[in-house]
Amino acid sequence: MSIQEQYRKRAAELLASGEVKIIIGYGAGSTPDRRRALFIRSADDASLLHVDAACDANLSGYLVSEGLLSDRKKVGIFLRPEGIRSVNILAAESQLDPLQIVIIGFNVENGSLAALQGSGVNDFSSLISTLKESRSTPEEQALIEKIEGMTPEERFAFWQAEFSKCIKCYACRQVCPMCYCKRCIVDNNQPQWVHTSSHTLGNFEWNLVRAFHLSGRCVECGGCDRACPVNIPLRLINRRMAQEVLDAFDHFSGMSHTQEPVLASFKKDDPETFIL
Amino acid sequence: MAKIGVFICHCGENIGAKIDCTKLVSAMNDHPGVSVSVEYKYFCSDPGQENVKKAIREHNLTGVVVAACSPRMHEATFRKACAEAGLNPYLCEIANIREQCSWVHTDQDMATEKAIEITRSLIEKVKLNNELQPIEVPVTKRALVIGGGIAGIQAALDIANAGQEVVLVEREPSLGGHMAQLSETFPTLDCSQCIMTPRMVEAAQHPKIRLLTYSEVEQVEGFIGNFKVRIRQKSRYVDMKACTGCGDCIQKCPQKKISDEFDCNLGKRPAIYTPFAQAVPNIPVIDKEHCTFFKNGKCKVCQKVCETDAINFEMQDEFLELEIGAIVVATGFQIQNTAMYGEYGYGKYADVITGLQFERLASASGPTAGKIKRPSDGVEPETIVFIQCAGSRDPSKGVKYCSKICCMYTAKHAMLYAHKVHGGKAHVFYMDIRAAGKGYDEFTRRAIEEDEASYLRGRVSKVWKENGKLMVRGVDTLLGKPVEIAADMVVLATAITPQPDAKEFAKVVGIGCDEYGFYNEAHLKLRPVETATAGIFLAGACQSPKDIPDSVSQASACASKVIGLFSRDQLEREPVIAVNNESTCSGCWGCALACPYNAIEKKDILSRSGELIKRVAFINPGLCQGCGTCVTFCRSNSIDLAGFTEKQIFAEVMGL
Repeated sequence: MSIQEQYRKRAAELLASGEVKIIIGYGAGSTPDRRRALFIRSADDASLLHVDAACDANLSGYLVSEGLLSDRKKVGIFLRPEGIRSVNILAAESQLDPLQIVIIGFNVENGSLAALQGSGVNDFSSLISTLKESRSTPEEQALIEKIEGMTPEERFAFWQAEFSKCIKCYACRQVCPMCYCKRCIVDNNQPQWVHTSSHTLGNFEWNLVRAFHLSGRCVECGGCDRACPVNIPLRLINRRMAQEVLDAFDHFSGMSHTQEPVLASFKKDDPETFIL
Repeated sequence: MAKIGVFICHCGENIGAKIDCTKLVSAMNDHPGVSVSVEYKYFCSDPGQENVKKAIREHNLTGVVVAACSPRMHEATFRKACAEAGLNPYLCEIANIREQCSWVHTDQDMATEKAIEITRSLIEKVKLNNELQPIEVPVTKRALVIGGGIAGIQAALDIANAGQEVVLVEREPSLGGHMAQLSETFPTLDCSQCIMTPRMVEAAQHPKIRLLTYSEVEQVEGFIGNFKVRIRQKSRYVDMKACTGCGDCIQKCPQKKISDEFDCNLGKRPAIYTPFAQAVPNIPVIDKEHCTFFKNGKCKVCQKVCETDAINFEMQDEFLELEIGAIVVATGFQIQNTAMYGEYGYGKYADVITGLQFERLASASGPTAGKIKRPSDGVEPETIVFIQCAGSRDPSKGVKYCSKICCMYTAKHAMLYAHKVHGGKAHVFYMDIRAAGKGYDEFTRRAIEEDEASYLRGRVSKVWKENGKLMVRGVDTLLGKPVEIAADMVVLATAITPQPDAKEFAKVVGIGCDEYGFYNEAHLKLRPVETATAGIFLAGACQSPKDIPDSVSQASACASKVIGLFSRDQLEREPVIAVNNESTCSGCWGCALACPYNAIEKKDILSRSGELIKRVAFINPGLCQGCGTCVTFCRSNSIDLAGFTEKQIFAEVMGL
């Protein structure tokens, strides 16, 4: 039985036994090489599920949909390791109860599918620890090094050029599982701290606010990057912020469902290099 | 429609000389919403305040901006003046055009332009100010005194004698601190323990003082009037209720060779011990690290000889959670380890000792029963060299500051030596003699003139051993000659340093400290016993090196502050508190974690039929201190701070 078949079988069993009320997975997308979110409520629909290397979206954001978890029933969800980390963060931020989530984990290694054992968030702690210890080198390492090597002026110019493309569609926000606020700060117009028009100032404001709101929370699933219609390399910003909190506070986002948010908690031995 | 009054103060020449106030006045008169703008030489003066009040009444003002010095100076003055004229005090704002403008700029035109901008931004803010009412919070009338040395005991006694409850916490097994270790005290040469122990007993017996020895403060939460303190009572392994203090266990303990900390490692003590004979409480503790039973699982001799079954090897640390209204920190000092001066040979030669060790040698309760004997062989020294500033006033190796008490105690040591060893010769190497204090200079003169101590102004470069003598090479800078003295003992006037854990403890209590770990006062001159944290006060050498009279005075000053605080049932607090918008709150509770005052709770939002819709953050107005940490953390911008609302700050920024 192929890995996909095994997953379909497991999904069908979970639904048939009534353990979960719904499964959030991947179905066929608009083109053969793309997948989109699929929500199935009956075992018969399990055959519609796709599990393969094209399943790149982090589906955890759907878990905080209004009312989904309020009946206390369990929900099954297909997640890659980053998605499992997102579930941990959502649990740590009181957005969901991890006991309600049945994780159907999978990974894509070197372009091929690999199964993950376990179903509760705690089953994946050693996997996440491994991820922390061996941070993968991203594809665009050369670009990162180039940006790191720039003077502040050059770097500013680089990002100014990138942000000038932003059309403020907020697709990055809509796709991000961490952007669950009922009202986003940019939608607050009393006062309007962040300009909504897509000029340089407004674009900088939005992207900086986004970077800070995601520090210590982003799991680098790449959703924002893929969603961006004008191809701003948003993942580079998130990756840099993730590295900052890892270096400064040994904080790897989504380590556990009890992890404290890095910007709201402090330890006695935190570095205080910013205090002059 | 806003009717703002703008009052521009010259502050004499402070502002007037650098800023064109007339121009500022006319610029403000043209600003929309300003009803009246006037200048005056000193608005903080009585006639100045009268001007403000008159303008409020005449123009029926809805807001006031005083362009003057920092709000830290006179915000309270002008808010009070507004209140007296019938305007809510929180409709008054201060535009700081002195510290942030006239004092720091030289160009008059540019400074004036900046002052216009600053004042304008505050006008924009005050237009959005709301009327606020002060918050009243109850005061827990119970003080915590941390540290049972002379400063802590004095503060505790003064507070308790005013009829208020005190919890006195000491981490050592007995009260007393460093003063209990001293022999005689300058400048009167009265026996330290003779004047100290009655205070210790009084504190222990006082009905208003709850004494917790061998205990440590582990956590402090809350705020003035309403602290919550967690205290660890370390297990003594001796039941304090059952123990009669007979001392049989101490006599019979087979471990007798443990270095005695109270005697500065000059004497020995058993594993079950009281630090000194007059210990309060007179109940021993078991030193778990050295106890034979804890090391080998066999012995329990103390348990066998104890007639009241007071020894309990199973005893565990206990924790107390106390509600406290005010805290006095009197955690004292330690002396610097002088081993960093390799040339003085401390740690290498047994007869090179610290001043505190000399106190123990001279003390009647010390290891030599008050006889001056050198530690190496117990022989009475014929010559002693005292080296002052062995660490103090030495930025390269020691500490930059003066330890303040060493000049006096070295003179005292020279005197005690002269009194105890007739014919003994004391040489004192000093940098300067700092003897400011009542009777202090007379005291050092007595050491020199009557007790014939030889004072040499200069530093010592080397101490080495030769033919059974400690050879001290130094320089007498007054004669401009090198000197070499063959001594039997060398006493180093070691620097006073904060407790080794002072910096960590500052974080526990929530107060600031300097680079060394001495605790920071709120204002060196005008608020020397307060810390920047309201309700926490400082007494004794934890703030800076101090002698006994200074420590006692400061302790009494702390007590008066605490008694003053406890004289009211309610504390009035600024209504600057955070408020959460429950409709936009997404309930992540990062704010609750970030809040240093534990003021944020979870609140359930229920539907009409009682079903849970969501949980949001609720900020308890009684606990919120208005620090704004939650405001900055909140991603959805749901939290706002009264008096500094987003709208106000935005308007203020946009007014620039």
